[in-house]
Amino acid sequence: MIAAVDTKALLELVLVAPAAVLTVTVAWGLVIRGATRAAEARREGDTTATAINALVALAGGALFTAALVYGLIIMTTK
Amino acid sequence: MENDLILVIVVFTALAFDFTNGFHDTANSVATSISTRALAPRTAVTLAALLNFAGAFISLKVAATIASGIVDATIVTPTVIFAGLIGAIFWNLATWYLGLPSSSSHALIGGVVGAAFVAAGSDAVMGAGLLEKVIVPALVAPVIAFLAAGGAILITYRMVGRLRPGPVNRGYRLGQIASLSLLSLSHGTNDAQKTMGIITLALIANGSLTGASPDPPTWVIFSAASAIALGTYSGGWRIIRTMGSRIIKMDPAQGFSAQTGGAAVLLTAAHLGFPLSTTHSITGAVLGAGAAKRLSAVRWGLAGNIFLAWVLTLPAAAAVGGITYGACHVFGNGAAGPVVISVVLLAIMAIVFAKRLQRGPALTTAVGG
Repeated sequence: MIAAVDTKALLELVLVAPAAVLTVTVAWGLVIRGATRAAEARREGDTTATAINALVALAGGALFTAALVYGLIIMTTK
Repeated sequence: MENDLILVIVVFTALAFDFTNGFHDTANSVATSISTRALAPRTAVTLAALLNFAGAFISLKVAATIASGIVDATIVTPTVIFAGLIGAIFWNLATWYLGLPSSSSHALIGGVVGAAFVAAGSDAVMGAGLLEKVIVPALVAPVIAFLAAGGAILITYRMVGRLRPGPVNRGYRLGQIASLSLLSLSHGTNDAQKTMGIITLALIANGSLTGASPDPPTWVIFSAASAIALGTYSGGWRIIRTMGSRIIKMDPAQGFSAQTGGAAVLLTAAHLGFPLSTTHSITGAVLGAGAAKRLSAVRWGLAGNIFLAWVLTLPAAAAVGGITYGACHVFGNGAAGPVVISVVLLAIMAIVFAKRLQRGPALTTAVGG
């Protein structure tokens, strides 16, 4: 009966699913951290820090959007 | 004429199940967003309902019909499907009344298994299929989601813990709207198709549809999408309250970690061909997001009740499905059984609803407390 369970897919799931969750979490964390710090740096007149933190936020946003789009692709093609 | 009558009853019962599936599972996508005030309750269920409706049109692969690989397909008659649906509706309503999240898919499988068991004996039920499609996923989903969401909230607090809470909370509320949308769309795609599959199966059995694997007619797609969307819009507020505020009191970061963590686990599992229950994944993620912050933040007694409901889902729905099939069989193999059972159940529901109305509004949107 154990043979009925796809152990390969199960093991893959155990490894890949937490990695997917952490990727999405870090991506959105970067958006919030970057945007908040960029706003603080702009108030202080620090243009370099503003630009760096804005870039961090943009990179996180791009990663988060890519994850959302990938989720949509999985939904439509499964 | 008699076959047409059974077909009509099965179609209406399938749509009724679809409706209960919608309002029972609304909590999975909206509970954390409402709890953290990312969206107002009515806005959240409206968005979820619209996306459930849209999701039903995304993919139409109804070939994977309900309980395939779990019960012997040759013994599945319209009466078995009807009895299975009644078992699933019963369990959905019972768990909704108790405010406990549980899997509608597992309830449906349980109902069909019970009806098939009574109709054709134990040989009709495939133990290996049950293990692969119900028992193992039910064990795996909450554990992975628990660990993933727990890890996610620890990383989140490390990344944003020293920032001003105002913008951080606003940011996580915004992120929750994205994950709510993805979960609702995914739910519409998956769950409306179960109903489409059931109705298509009944149409094939009745000879109304021909071909090896015919596409569902447009009216089937539209009615299944509408039923799940209406169910979602009506909102299973008791379960929303349990998942949103009774298991843990969550902040926006926890809400985001739970909702996004659950969604990522579900979509990864779907990608790997290992479908998991939305309810089990999101509930596991909510518990994980709470326990990682502080173990005592979780109401473990309530979590125990939820686990008990999950354990009982299959046998309870199977028992009701089996009893319903047996009761139908008393009236012969024709339409008389399903007709009598439907009339009796509708009368009981009307009496219960009327009595409830006498005590005040039967449907509310109150989620506080």
